[in-house]
Amino acid sequence: MMSLMTQKTIPAKQPLSDWFRRNVAKLVVAPTFGLIIFFVYGFIAWTGYVSFTKSKMLPTYSFEGFYQYIRLWKMTPWNVAMENLLVFGSLFILIAIVLGCLLAIALDQKVRAEGVLRTVYLYPMAISFIITGTAWKWILNPGLGIQSLMQSWGWESFAFDWLINSEMAVYTLVIAAVWQSSGFVMALFLAALRGVDSEIIKAAYLDGASLSRIYLVIILPTLRPVFLSCFFILTHMAVKSFDLVVALTGGGPGYSTIMPANFMYEMTFRRNQIGLGAASAMMMLATVMAIVIPYLYSELREKKNG
Amino acid sequence: MASLSIQNVKKSYGAIEVLKGIDLDLEDGEFLVLLGPSGCGKSTLLNMIAGLDTITDGEILIDQNVVNDVHPKDRDIAMVFQSYALYPNMSVARNIGFGLEMRKVTKEDREKRVDEAARMLQIDHLSDRKPAQLSGGQRQRVAMGRALVRDPEIFLFDEPLSNLDAKLRVEMRTEIKKLHQRLGTTMVYVTHDQIEAMTLASRIAILREGEVQQFASPQEVYEKPANMYVAGFVGSPPMNFVPAAVVSEGGKLGVSIERTANGNRSSVFLALPNDRQDIGDWVGRNVILGIRPETLTHRSDAEISLNKGLQAFDCQVEVLEPTGADTLTYIELGGREVIARVNPYNTTEPGETMAFMVDMGKASLFDPKTELRI
Amino acid sequence: MADLSALPGGKSPWQSAARFGLYTLLLIFAAYYILPLIVVLSTSLKDLDEIRNGTLLSLPSEINFDAWGYAWNEACIGVSCTGLKPYFWNSVAMTIPAVLISTLLGALTGYSLTKFKFKGANLIFAMILFGCFIPFQVVLLPMAQSLGYLRIANTVPGLVLVHIVYGLPFTVLFFRNYYVNIPDDLIKAATIDGAGFFMIFWRIMLPLSPPIIVVTIIWQFTQIWNDFLFGASFTTGGGQPVTVALNNLVNTTTGVKRYNVDMAAALITAAPTLVVYVLAGRYFVRGLTAGSVKG
Ligand SMILES: Nc1ncnc2c1ncn2[C@@H]1O[C@H](COP(=O)(O)OP(=O)(O)OP(=O)(O)O)[C@@H](O)[C@H]1O
Ligand SMILES: [Mg+2]
Repeated sequence: MMSLMTQKTIPAKQPLSDWFRRNVAKLVVAPTFGLIIFFVYGFIAWTGYVSFTKSKMLPTYSFEGFYQYIRLWKMTPWNVAMENLLVFGSLFILIAIVLGCLLAIALDQKVRAEGVLRTVYLYPMAISFIITGTAWKWILNPGLGIQSLMQSWGWESFAFDWLINSEMAVYTLVIAAVWQSSGFVMALFLAALRGVDSEIIKAAYLDGASLSRIYLVIILPTLRPVFLSCFFILTHMAVKSFDLVVALTGGGPGYSTIMPANFMYEMTFRRNQIGLGAASAMMMLATVMAIVIPYLYSELREKKNG
Repeated sequence: MASLSIQNVKKSYGAIEVLKGIDLDLEDGEFLVLLGPSGCGKSTLLNMIAGLDTITDGEILIDQNVVNDVHPKDRDIAMVFQSYALYPNMSVARNIGFGLEMRKVTKEDREKRVDEAARMLQIDHLSDRKPAQLSGGQRQRVAMGRALVRDPEIFLFDEPLSNLDAKLRVEMRTEIKKLHQRLGTTMVYVTHDQIEAMTLASRIAILREGEVQQFASPQEVYEKPANMYVAGFVGSPPMNFVPAAVVSEGGKLGVSIERTANGNRSSVFLALPNDRQDIGDWVGRNVILGIRPETLTHRSDAEISLNKGLQAFDCQVEVLEPTGADTLTYIELGGREVIARVNPYNTTEPGETMAFMVDMGKASLFDPKTELRI
Repeated sequence: MADLSALPGGKSPWQSAARFGLYTLLLIFAAYYILPLIVVLSTSLKDLDEIRNGTLLSLPSEINFDAWGYAWNEACIGVSCTGLKPYFWNSVAMTIPAVLISTLLGALTGYSLTKFKFKGANLIFAMILFGCFIPFQVVLLPMAQSLGYLRIANTVPGLVLVHIVYGLPFTVLFFRNYYVNIPDDLIKAATIDGAGFFMIFWRIMLPLSPPIIVVTIIWQFTQIWNDFLFGASFTTGGGQPVTVALNNLVNTTTGVKRYNVDMAAALITAAPTLVVYVLAGRYFVRGLTAGSVKG
């Protein structure tokens, strides 16, 4: 029927273009992979090495064993930072997950104006921790913030001075961090809830299960992967948190609210203790890996099994 | 148009050998159907012909040229995928014309040919739609159009009809057949549907676990299956397999089948036609007798007198399954359930005894050990 | 989920009470999220007297953009009193190329790793993915040194490089996970049709990618714009991005403390990501959870 291409021959091989065709994918991946190898793996190796030296302002390369690590763990600020990380991290993760999950379930009840509410819950995610810190510093400021607001409303004895109270300041970090992140958690849960098979829910309803039971027994267990993902993302955020501390408390009062990231920055860029900074960075990496590796392992195993 | 030759082709993924040495030769203009169950390597072989998968060992020749290292676009083949693989972002016309566009065919030419192909497949009114706005059958036609417009040397089809409903499937089957008759192009067609294979093929290759079981015309595959696997795979309802022994009774070679009727063990003797004297050395040994349901039916003396191959026996009827044209009648022979195709007006009630006849001229005998045809 | 209240037996007095509780809960939390923004906005519009005499929630008596102008043009950041303006443009000049380049590289890499699988592709992906999980503290020091060697310390190109490198693991992850769900048959069909690697990318993959491109661009844009750690570590003085400048502005203690200027500066800094979020946030959430493309 179509006689436009009657003369057909199989073309001879062209070695160069053939080679290119076979390897083009590798060539395209190469720059990205090269960057990662150098800037991630190479740099980690370098930091790891420096953490075993007595480097101060400039890196030196003579191996000194665990000198910096021993020094690190003897320093009160570092121990305070690790404690803060534990307190802040566990509260932040727990509250953000509970709140995010709760809000997602609430929003999933065919509420009016869901779109507006979702936007309101989610917008803090778009904002820098520096801005969050600045805003909450103003709100929590005892002189002009909530404390004075409550007092002006007639609750004279109301005191809310966490920001300048070295016992309580770490909790202000939790308040601000939850404000910033729980909307994101909510979005992940909501998306997962929307994906739950509605036939299952109808079947349970026919069986006479109440709404709360349906959620507790049927829906939440299917959301296990979302819980895990959230736990993991939030942990990661907690360990990395640096800017919020800088903007909200500046690590104070004293050094009562510093986090490992702030400690590392202080040692490396302010106090010229490169070796110590490197050792603290490696400890942070170890902390993250202790959580990431089991997580990835279980993810991969699940994928393989089904 | 082109001939296709597949010579000792092997494929391994790591340690797993998926194809274990395939040999097939196709003449110009033939319609080859690769038939086999899921996972037997049909798609893998088709992808290798297309050049979408590397060949571990062996050679593929198109028109006497080894194409092992030739890029798919230079092989002058076109392929229709099971999932249709239509480009979701392009209109129907764009989809059909994409191959020509890549080959730098001028716009004018392209439009003319796309138009021609679309009209041939009756989808010319859909040109501006996106694939998502089409029904399954329409998508299928677009996928065909995309192959058709290229006017390739060889068409490859990978289960193109398996996503359609039963009625459309039959319709499209006929259209593909017509298309082949009109174009006369060499076609390779993958399916696991034996009816599709029987209706379309000029030759069928039956695959099982990466090996060709039989490569022959549909008729031969049906009447002279190379082994029990092929016999069981082709035909619906499938061939009946009955354990039997070859015996010589009164100077006639035949098979004897054990059975229990009303609690009594007895045996039935069925004589083989004279041209089966080649199995003389099997006397006294066990074989498997293969009987197609349509060669086993109610007894008709008129026919028996005409056809020497027909052998009569009586048997108790167990279950009846009317299908309309015929009634599938279940009886027990040699300890196996056996299906006979009986005219609905000649059936009896279950439990009663009925007279049957079987065309031994069309029966197959298999070696119980190797399962090969005797 | 299924709308159970619409089913028979779903409407009872209990149900109404529960609905009331539900809306109360939703509104209380809406207040938690929205009030800080309102407070910051209203503070930025007040003058200093009004701030000292009023309360957190009192609305400004008149809308007054002086603090915004001051924050943009005049506020002191450390010793230089230029306002946020130059730093804001630093951030723009850093963010746009870094977002575009990391997205493009991520798309190409994700495409290669899924549709042109070669030996070791999965290992390479796993190794790139690892970059998502590192705390950046482990690369700060060598990065500071390397930027010095390359003579791009304290420059916008230096920050662009940093953000491209450490954004890549995320962009590759996004695109790979999206492209995995695009049927391989499409690539096979296009190959037979005669399209090569880049042609398939350009004509088939990219037209299917808008959802994930939106996700990636929003993600990268917010990450890079909002970054503080790299900015604070690798830049000083006039080379700083706006987040670092904002922090310095708020902590600059010369003269009177102008809360309204602090708040205006915070809003200026937040504006680009907020605008992006409000315009395209819904595509972000949708895209994050989007499944496959049907062919
Ligand atoms: N990339 C791969 N790696 C490992 N094994 C593979 C790969 N691709 C296919 N296989 C295996 O090769 C065998 C043949 O696959 P193929 O797709 O050719 O089957 P098929 O006959 O087309 O089946 P179906 O009718 O289901 O399409 C299967 O067992 C499959 O698991
Ligand atoms: Mg297949």
